[in-house]
Amino acid sequence: MQSLVETAAHLGFSTVAINYVFEPTAKKKQEVPSPMPISELIGQLPVVQGRSRPIRVLNRLTVVMSEASHFRPSATEYRAFDLLAVHPTTEKLFHTTCMLCDVDIICISVTEKLPFFFKRAPINGAIDRGVVFELSYASALRDTTMRCYTIANSVCLMESCKGKNIILSSAAEKALELRGPYDITNLGVLFGLSEADSKEAVSSTCRAVLLHAETRKTASGIVYTMKSQQEVLQDSAGSEAPAAKRPKTT
Amino acid sequence: MVRVKSRYLLCEINVSDRSELLKLDDRAVARAVKAAVARIHGDYGSALCSIRFCVKYLNAHTGIVFLRFPKGCYKLLWSALPFITSIESRGQIISCFFNCLHVGGTIRTCQRFLIRYNTQQLHRMLPKCKNEEEKKQIQESILSCSLMGRNNEAFEEELESEEDGE
Repeated sequence: MQSLVETAAHLGFSTVAINYVFEPTAKKKQEVPSPMPISELIGQLPVVQGRSRPIRVLNRLTVVMSEASHFRPSATEYRAFDLLAVHPTTEKLFHTTCMLCDVDIICISVTEKLPFFFKRAPINGAIDRGVVFELSYASALRDTTMRCYTIANSVCLMESCKGKNIILSSAAEKALELRGPYDITNLGVLFGLSEADSKEAVSSTCRAVLLHAETRKTASGIVYTMKSQQEVLQDSAGSEAPAAKRPKTT
Repeated sequence: MVRVKSRYLLCEINVSDRSELLKLDDRAVARAVKAAVARIHGDYGSALCSIRFCVKYLNAHTGIVFLRFPKGCYKLLWSALPFITSIESRGQIISCFFNCLHVGGTIRTCQRFLIRYNTQQLHRMLPKCKNEEEKKQIQESILSCSLMGRNNEAFEEELESEEDGE
């Protein structure tokens, strides 16, 4: 993990998210995994190439949904994660996640042929809400059939969404599976994005997702809470706190 | 119809283990690139690759390569580079990946970028120095970076001493 983050910092990425995949099966009462604190995992955060700040590491949860009940919109366990992602597996679920679910990212599967077709209506709804679609490229690097599926699925997606609100992410498990930003931009062109869209997919859309995640956690993006070292209360920082709301403590 | 134009791609080869970098040589890299292009883009890709492609410069100590592609199709051939996962050289397989840093129209522009990049790397190495002597060496090499061709040697010496020190 340390080498992964160091390689990412060396390549020039300023923010990295560690993904925890949660797949609820038929067994109920399965616990959502809680993220390990970053300081335990990594230690000294390396400085990003080309900047003077250390790399920012976030936690992210991906819920693989095969039924509508799998994702509970305001579960308390989700609060520990900075980014929320959903991986729908059927057409109805895709529709619900695009229009209703309170997530930041919708994962598009790249390891199998898509079981459903994309329709314009839910995709446009998702774009209006600020939800992005994610394509991961690590499986494409490993295997030829995966490459076919990845390109097929992404071209399908591009036809319906015209290249807006897309992010390309590496589902890298080893440091050797990461690629630099210019290389990913080029891969995006292979996947069907236009050149400008591909560059955005690596830079501005990703930043938009981070901001979306922050506003999702707070009350309309106005009040946010900060962790404090002491155990005493009183910690809401931010511009305005309506008097009726009591500051939440962590 | 005045000049034949090419694009020079400045890439960095990242390996997990620095000692393996020294085993690279330019023909192995060229073979790996051609194989990857053939895998991804098929016969069309290998045909394009045979026009003016070559490895112009390889620095085994730092893992920097200059690749030359024809201007008309460099994007296509560039898109096959991320798919390279290993290079085979002298019977050994070295796992690595290519990271493209800069695209230039001439070798000189790439060299200028490389000098700036190397100075940045030296700056990054400065806080990690273990003793005063290394610090002084790095500072001297930062000051002596120039286009006259001395920069590369200074950087290599620094890198080696850093690795030994680490």
